Amino acid sequence: MPAREQHPQAHEAWAHERSLLMEEEHRSADHRRSRALRVFALRIGVLAGFLVLWSAASGSLIDSLFVSDPISVARSFIQISLNGTLWWHLRLTLLEMTLGYILGVVIGVGLAIVISLIWRGEQIVRPLMLGVFAIPKVALAPLVIVWFGIYLLPKVILAASLVLFIVYFSTLAGFAAVNRDLVASVRVMGASRGALFLKLILPSAAPYIFSAMRITLPGALIGAIIGEFVSSNRGVGFLIAYASSRYDTAQVFAAILSLLIFSLILNAIVSRLEKYVARWRSEEPQWGPA
Amino acid sequence: MTIPASLEPDEKVERKTPHTPSVLEARNVYKVFVARGKARTALRNVDLTIHRGEFVCLVGPSGCGKSTVLNMFAGLVMPTDGTILHDGRVIAGVNTRVGYVTQDDNLLPWRTALANVELALECKGVGRAERRERAFDYLARVGLKGSAELYPHELSGGMRKRVSIVRTLVDDSVDVILMDEPFGPLDAQTRLVLQDELLRLWQGTGRTIVFVTHDIVEAITLSDRIATFTGVPGSIKQVRDVTLPRPRDVFHIHETPGFATIYDAIWNDLREELLNERGRDAGA
Repeated sequence: MPAREQHPQAHEAWAHERSLLMEEEHRSADHRRSRALRVFALRIGVLAGFLVLWSAASGSLIDSLFVSDPISVARSFIQISLNGTLWWHLRLTLLEMTLGYILGVVIGVGLAIVISLIWRGEQIVRPLMLGVFAIPKVALAPLVIVWFGIYLLPKVILAASLVLFIVYFSTLAGFAAVNRDLVASVRVMGASRGALFLKLILPSAAPYIFSAMRITLPGALIGAIIGEFVSSNRGVGFLIAYASSRYDTAQVFAAILSLLIFSLILNAIVSRLEKYVARWRSEEPQWGPA
Repeated sequence: MTIPASLEPDEKVERKTPHTPSVLEARNVYKVFVARGKARTALRNVDLTIHRGEFVCLVGPSGCGKSTVLNMFAGLVMPTDGTILHDGRVIAGVNTRVGYVTQDDNLLPWRTALANVELALECKGVGRAERRERAFDYLARVGLKGSAELYPHELSGGMRKRVSIVRTLVDDSVDVILMDEPFGPLDAQTRLVLQDELLRLWQGTGRTIVFVTHDIVEAITLSDRIATFTGVPGSIKQVRDVTLPRPRDVFHIHETPGFATIYDAIWNDLREELLNERGRDAGA
């Protein structure tokens, strides 16, 4: 290139800066990778420490009949996984929980929308909703079984009841937090009530709805398990109750382990969904102190 | 206590624009706000006529109710007494025939620049292909062709402001643009550049702009007329013509002959009000 020959100094400065940029990019990537690796290693360490403590305490500090030990739990977990017992029970619990969760979210958001359309609706029903919310749903479990039978429905309803209220309150909080100036701007543009809701109010409440969805995920599981405790002949709740009646602590823990794994998977799914819907939000800056 | 401007005949203005019909009109408007059970007069007997195609700036001490007047023109706030007219008809609800550029850029954060500009057209039922083309065309006019697919948080303050201005201009059904200190939060250089762009976008369109600002130089640079407000309760103290020739050189407006005269006149109107305000603060 003739330009390069004409201005060798300028080219040198340019090459120098480019090498600086590339070096800095590499350093930042290395940094991120090593940090992620360290966090992962520490997580494994904490988990291993816990398991070691558990093994050590079992049989020495505490009677192993009550707490079992990691090896027995693992053995039991593998056993009930392989012979199909776990899946047979888990399948039903998952169904109850999923139906209850979806029902709770749909009713919670739907109710919030309907109430918002009514004049002062939220204020009018607030004491009622807070009151019902405050009742421990678990206390209603026996009654729910009496009302809705002993099969799928009562467990779905219990699961939904632990999701619904939190989703309802969060959705309303999201509606209330909509920027008034934005509402005014969009109304002046000529938006109808429906357009205002779909284009502005619902999207701005979305982060609230998603955070409620994440918080209530374990609630749905709790509802399903409680329902199974009270009355059932199948499900992880039944499996736990049955195993502990036989003092098979290892199997109780194995069943709990399956719930734990399942909860983590569900949480990951909801997080993905949330990230996808909120993809417009600013990501963490790449510069500044690590 | 100064005499409300509305009591003084504003002959000069009437003479200058006898043939242009009025677009917006505030007639004997009062606004009373109740805060903590106590009623206060925010606007007292405001009389203001905006003619078709003119650029009018409203200046005055902070809190004097300039923005309330804009909100009334937009139909977002109703007068306690008096009438607000658009094309001779009383504004009784949200006025969708105006565009409103607020001090915050008020873009929807989950929409790209392009989708934000399309919003008004969407609300008015313009078809997808047409609104996309028009929005893109307007973005290109303010140099944001390459930023159409970026989200607001990825744009600079000046770029966001451009999007929010273009968003109101893109809508043909709007013949009046209300602007409430749109350039307030911007740095001095960006502000000049945007003033220049706004004048270019507006010139020759025949659209009417009502622009609230507290910056006298900005008001002179942009407008055909400047209405000065008194302090609280706000009323119109004086309306003056800005006869500087167009197109105006935003960056050298100080050197334009006649600038100093109009600047001094406006400053005199305003100074009295600022001093009154200070006296009130000291007395309180």
